[in-house]
Amino acid sequence: MQAEGFRRYVEPEIEVLLRVAHTLVGSADAEDLVQETLVRAWRGMDRFDGRHPRAWLLTILRNTNMNMHRRRRPDSVEDVADYANATPAFGIDPPSTEDQVMASFLPEDLERAVGSLDTKFRTVLLLIDVDELTYAEAADALGIPVGTVMSRLSRARDRVRQYLRPSFAAAHGGGQR
Amino acid sequence: MIRAMRMMVTCHWSARRIQRYLDSDPAALLDPSEIRRLEAHLAECDKCRAAAAEYRQINSALSRWAARRMPDPQSVTHMHEVVDRLVRGEMQ
Repeated sequence: MQAEGFRRYVEPEIEVLLRVAHTLVGSADAEDLVQETLVRAWRGMDRFDGRHPRAWLLTILRNTNMNMHRRRRPDSVEDVADYANATPAFGIDPPSTEDQVMASFLPEDLERAVGSLDTKFRTVLLLIDVDELTYAEAADALGIPVGTVMSRLSRARDRVRQYLRPSFAAAHGGGQR
Repeated sequence: MIRAMRMMVTCHWSARRIQRYLDSDPAALLDPSEIRRLEAHLAECDKCRAAAAEYRQINSALSRWAARRMPDPQSVTHMHEVVDRLVRGEMQ
């Protein structure tokens, strides 16, 4: 039954869809994109075989994004700042003292490093390391092969590492690879 | 000299696999022999071990962005309402 499948497979994915939509189009348009995605998923329930609901929904979200009038991406450094420095959600603990001591770089350095990336590298990095999609899910969300996801992710992380090299060097007290 | 060259080759081999090792993503798992070889190399190579530590720090810091950026609870509520309306036939 359409309603039963929708409740069971689609409804649990709302938060993931909102996170991915935020990464792809920014906070202002995320709800619109997810709402339209839900409508299309509802219409397409009879064609869904019950396997891999998240992959199916991310594909719909991607296609919906391409078809919608407005399609903005968080390109500017300001958007990344908004992303990284949002007020902690109620009940979420700040990083432990140990976490703060362990990192060799300042949060604002990481934010600048990520902001300095080309959009296509930054998007993959955010989807996987922040939104915690798998390689395959990111591939579905973006409509690119898994291999491309992996190479962009690898290059994004390497560029971040390079950007943070002075911080790492200071922490290690010497050269690194 | 040969030992140094072998180390260089292994560093290169390892550098290409460190991220897959750390991610353990189902789409790109290393096989057990690759894992053994990589872990053995990390145990004896300071540079590659430092690289792995740097990737871990970056990943850990980025995953904390997620905790600070949960979806807006209002948006979540709105989307559940959309689901309700679709199921009740109130939306096309």
